[in-house]
Amino acid sequence: MALLEARSLTVSYGGLHANDDIDLDVQSGKLVGLIGPNGAGKTTFIDAITGFTPLSFGTVTFDGVDLAGKSPDARARLGLTRTFQSLELFEDLTVRDNLMAAAERPRWFSFATDIVLPGRAGRAYREQVDWALSILKLSDFADRLPSDLSHGQRKLVGVARALAARPKLVLLDEPAAGLDTVESQLLGSHLRDFLAHDMSLFLIDHDMGLVLNVCDYIYVLDFGRVIAQGTPAQVRADPAVISAYLGESAGEAQARHGVSFGHGGSEEDQ
Amino acid sequence: MKEIIFYLLIGLGIGSLYATLGAGLVVVYKGSGVINFAHGALAMYGMFTFDAAWNRGQLYLPWVDFLPTHSLNLPVRITLDSDGSWPMMAALIVALVMAALLGLGAHFLVFRPLRKAAPLGKVVASLGLALYLQGVALLNFGNSFPQPKSIFPDKSYENFLGLGRPFPRITLVAIAFAVLLAGALWAIYRLTRFGLATRAAAGNEKGAVLLGYSPQRLAAVNWVLASVTATLAVIIVGPIQGTITPVGLTALIVPALAAALVGGLRSVPIAAAGGLALGAVQTMLDLKKSSWFDGSLSWLQDGVRNVIPLLVIIVVLFVRGKSLPMRGTVEERRLPLSPNPQRISQHALVWVTVAAMAAFAFEAAGTRTVFAGAIQTGLVFAIIMLSVVLLTGYTGQISLAQMSFAGIAAFMMARMMADGVGRGSNLVAVSGPGLPWPIAAAIGVAVAVVVGVIVGLPAVRIRGVQLAVVTIATAISIQSLYLENDDITQLRAGIPAFVKTPTLFGIDVGARSVRQQNERPAFAIFAAIVLALCAIALANVRRTGVGRRFLAVRANERAAAAAGINVARTKLLAFALSAAIAGIGGVMLGFKQVEVSSANFPFQASLVVLAFAYLGGITSINGGIVAGMLVGASVVPVTSNYFFRGTNIDSYVGMLGGVGLIVTAIVHPQGVAPFFQGVMRHLGNWIVSAFPGLQTVRAATGGPRRIVVQTGWAVLVVGFAFFVHRAQFIDDVYLWILFSLAMLYFIVFLASKALGPTRPTPTDARHTWAASIKRFGPTALVGYVLGWIIWPIRVDSYSKLWMPLLGAELALFIRSVVRQVKDARSPHEQAPDELAAHDVATSPVSQSATTASTMAEVV
Repeated sequence: MALLEARSLTVSYGGLHANDDIDLDVQSGKLVGLIGPNGAGKTTFIDAITGFTPLSFGTVTFDGVDLAGKSPDARARLGLTRTFQSLELFEDLTVRDNLMAAAERPRWFSFATDIVLPGRAGRAYREQVDWALSILKLSDFADRLPSDLSHGQRKLVGVARALAARPKLVLLDEPAAGLDTVESQLLGSHLRDFLAHDMSLFLIDHDMGLVLNVCDYIYVLDFGRVIAQGTPAQVRADPAVISAYLGESAGEAQARHGVSFGHGGSEEDQ
Repeated sequence: MKEIIFYLLIGLGIGSLYATLGAGLVVVYKGSGVINFAHGALAMYGMFTFDAAWNRGQLYLPWVDFLPTHSLNLPVRITLDSDGSWPMMAALIVALVMAALLGLGAHFLVFRPLRKAAPLGKVVASLGLALYLQGVALLNFGNSFPQPKSIFPDKSYENFLGLGRPFPRITLVAIAFAVLLAGALWAIYRLTRFGLATRAAAGNEKGAVLLGYSPQRLAAVNWVLASVTATLAVIIVGPIQGTITPVGLTALIVPALAAALVGGLRSVPIAAAGGLALGAVQTMLDLKKSSWFDGSLSWLQDGVRNVIPLLVIIVVLFVRGKSLPMRGTVEERRLPLSPNPQRISQHALVWVTVAAMAAFAFEAAGTRTVFAGAIQTGLVFAIIMLSVVLLTGYTGQISLAQMSFAGIAAFMMARMMADGVGRGSNLVAVSGPGLPWPIAAAIGVAVAVVVGVIVGLPAVRIRGVQLAVVTIATAISIQSLYLENDDITQLRAGIPAFVKTPTLFGIDVGARSVRQQNERPAFAIFAAIVLALCAIALANVRRTGVGRRFLAVRANERAAAAAGINVARTKLLAFALSAAIAGIGGVMLGFKQVEVSSANFPFQASLVVLAFAYLGGITSINGGIVAGMLVGASVVPVTSNYFFRGTNIDSYVGMLGGVGLIVTAIVHPQGVAPFFQGVMRHLGNWIVSAFPGLQTVRAATGGPRRIVVQTGWAVLVVGFAFFVHRAQFIDDVYLWILFSLAMLYFIVFLASKALGPTRPTPTDARHTWAASIKRFGPTALVGYVLGWIIWPIRVDSYSKLWMPLLGAELALFIRSVVRQVKDARSPHEQAPDELAAHDVATSPVSQSATTASTMAEVV
């Protein structure tokens, strides 16, 4: 059984189906990608999976648990974390505290032990936070505030925060958006490393090169529907994808350039 | 049935007041996105202006003459007519012009500079405005002002509508006025270009700018509109609601807020209708309460009237919570960063020692005994302020019910102590289990926690300013349902409840001695220790997981939820902990007062607490402690009143506090605590480098066991103070303090001899002295000369010796404030690392060693 199973997932805003009848699986230990043009419903899908948007229809099962009625924080505690496209860091906390806040799993009496024995607080989580910091090479910035960091570094903090809780599945919402090429490639090379740490990834991005390069399996979304799925090679060849991305207009040429760039990148890797 | 209809109709009279004020709140919210807690106060000032002009022929400008001289005065009172009265219409025009100017002033001087501030900043500024206007009105008009006349003759319709009773004509006028006003405002917003532009700017400020409208000018017009209509409403309708006082009129804000929320902060006619209905229902309940709330419900009789606005507010917010408009402002700032506290136990140790020494010094110091009481007040209020730091500063939840939590704890404790015997000033016997004080206090705090969680429940769904509205309505309900409710407290009106004297290990730590003044040092030490424990607990909260979750929720609720933090539970935990700290403060206040009455915990006090916490610095522990020292009857006002005797400065506290709040909100949202911190830190470093041997001793108190060594020092110091205090061989308190310090220094110097080479050497110390005289001498000299020049024209009773010294001191103070404000780069965004460096409380001893040259940086 897949780690994450979405069945007939539908999200409607009024009469508009932002996500329409989506069936999607994320297998354990895999990196699954979701691509699609602007407004295809990618972020809505992540919001629906993580409980920020209610489902209109369909079911989501994570690790054998039906997620219906579970709040976003309960889903995170089950091991399903996410990043945000718009970062949404805790600007008042240092980078390390950002990660600690996400890593800690308090009991109901934790506040009392924290107040009485502050030295012990969080000790159990320090190791996994250090791990998350080091895997994204953020250890040097651990005691800085997010506002002191560059945009790219802030992106990485967002990813590190999602990793800090040692989740089973991380949903990455456009982690490469706003990164320069070097940072983007660096991130791409990191992503496959995460899989080695008993973790699965679900990646949304505009950057076709990144998605086609690193993913094991790809879903393509357009107008809220899955129009294609398969391995990167299958998706690349799929006529539906090409027509969704490469229309007649001038703007589409740019997208094609993105696809061919992806080709080049993967060939270099081989 | 006829009777009920009649009561409902009568109630429409007061309802029309709520309706017009509620409509004004909507107008201001549309215009500038501010929920104006000063709306009632604005109307109040206009109303009293009208009355003074009409009936006394005098015009009072909205400020007071604060210059402490006879010959240099600010004009405040303008005599319009020496006969003592003026035509009514002329007075009305003057009052409305005054209202318009106040509205303009509120916009341009207060809220326009704050247009990008965090919502809390705007709430605090409007509280500051209300405090200012209330303070000025109390000084100019007095709270026992002869009741303003109604402008309509006191006539009634007999047997109105066949209901069989006389119906006052003014009520009918009031209703007509409210309906007409609501209609006119509706027409303005619907039919005119100005109304359209206002609505556009409320929806999307940036968009309105692009269309060529100035949102700030629109906001100014809306402010004037709101202020003028509110003044008119209070002039016409005000006399219906009974006794008119500056404080009472300011309190009208709560039913007005309820009405505005019914209108969704958007619709004037619906808000007006809501206000009318609210008044009708309230009056009906008021008149029928004895027959409706009978038997087991009779305890509801007194409070039910004030619960109605709360119920309306809660229902509205829960039903339409998310549909209330959040103004689309260009960019909104967050609360200032919350510094991570450092070395809290050392600071606590130092300050407990200082407080203990001061308490011993001022116990029996003649007229200076007021300082002993002031220290106690400051310590107790600092505890309550810490509850605000936790809830608002750390977690971002604005609560205007903190004093209610304190009151509940104090009242519950008093009740648990009661044993059916009347004593003290409370001769009325109150039944109760007669528990010992620690158990009674614990029960009081526990009940406060339960109430705190219940009050926090709405915070799960709503946030920001709307939460402030709910909590202020809750505070009023708690006041009238519990604290002022004879049926529950068994106390007759105005009679306080008795509180047992606390004892620790057989030692009396109560506040009151045989002299009947609250000056016993034992209580000050007790309160200082409780405050220190609360501060340490709060520091531990801030440093550990629970504080991280609080700050995460404050920063971003969405991201917090995504990170696995249960936002609702975190908020409720913050309310519970905050109510616990506030409850501890309330219990301590009870011990300090020796008795508690509802007058100690009015809902307005919660506004003052939030406002002063902000003034002190709402995101840091030392901000809370400084705030405790700033509130009325606490250390700073009492000290200034003592040193500025003859200038009546204490009567200006409300007004000055209001100005201070507005200025803080605009210029320095971090509060004044960093100023105190800077001064204290440098003073501490200066002392250590100016007296031979101190550095040696400080170096020896470091290391892993430093807390033990330092506790030893603290015990030595307090014990020494106690010894000198008991020996009573010096009468004058200043000589006493000088002697003690000299003796202490002698002991420390001897110790340093034993510890190793003397640091700083006498030569280094001399250099330090020389450097500071060079640095501060000129400023002090200028102040000294100015004081000497001003001496002949002052109103106080200073000798020619004291006045120049005071001048020198003031000059140094002003110098340091100016330097610090200059150094703060930008008012709203200070560099984070700089903020992080502001640690929790400054102490004279524990900072790292620096020489006199580094202190030049700030002071």
